[in-house]
Amino acid sequence: MAKEYAQCEIDMTPMIDVVFQLIIFFVVTMKMNQDSNQDIVLEDGKSGQILTADSMPPTTLEIEVDRRGRISIHNATLTERNLRDILRARINKHGNEFPVLIRGDRRAMHEKVRKVMDICTSSGLWKLSFVAVEEHKKRGSK
Amino acid sequence: MAYKRHQNKGESPKLDMTPMIDVVFQLLIFFVVTLKQEDILSKLDAARPAASTDERVKEQQQQLINVIVAPQGFIFNGRPMRIQELDRSIERLSGYSKTAMVIIKCTSDSPHAFLIQVLDVCYKHGMTNLSIFSM
Repeated sequence: MAKEYAQCEIDMTPMIDVVFQLIIFFVVTMKMNQDSNQDIVLEDGKSGQILTADSMPPTTLEIEVDRRGRISIHNATLTERNLRDILRARINKHGNEFPVLIRGDRRAMHEKVRKVMDICTSSGLWKLSFVAVEEHKKRGSK
Repeated sequence: MAYKRHQNKGESPKLDMTPMIDVVFQLLIFFVVTLKQEDILSKLDAARPAASTDERVKEQQQQLINVIVAPQGFIFNGRPMRIQELDRSIERLSGYSKTAMVIIKCTSDSPHAFLIQVLDVCYKHGMTNLSIFSM
């Protein structure tokens, strides 16, 4: 054993440092991805304004509606009453100018999306945006 | 004799690299497999007027473009259409005025995909004054 590795005199410390840095980086970035409901299939919308992290202010609220009409924010299911309370709390804090994005599944009935729109309108939010897919990158989607 | 060369190094003797390389490769494979590229998303803005604005809307009826989104397709000016025909009609109308109000009326049993398609077509031709009504 000792003879086989006799040539090897590499200092491992920087390598271990780098590996840990990489692990921490990937763990942190991966958690971000799973913040939204991944089951939602969006319709194509090639003409819309491209959504980037920079173009959206931190107050942006993204409401998800899945194909069965389940309403959620960051993949946490909400009842209509919860959503109303969240919107009210937000309006009290930031005013009614913050952008609202509706991430509706393409297979969802309009009725379900309408429910979310009605709640927003009755809370005083008239400007709504819908999320669509500019370009498909996901492997095996659609 | 072979040991003599390493004696001056002292503090770090031979370290077995094999398990570490194993682990690094495991991690590499794990991340390659789990990595999934995110779609590039776009947003389509639309206004949802309150019910009280209905009367004002009726007054300016002549400047309105009405699109009804039904479960089977789209109805534009009373004629059923597919998205390609609607695209052409909106393109023609956008030549006259890009500020004309487009009223999109959705039936409750139409799929959400149709609404997005109409919004997308309107955006494509620069119509930005969009309102969504539900019926």
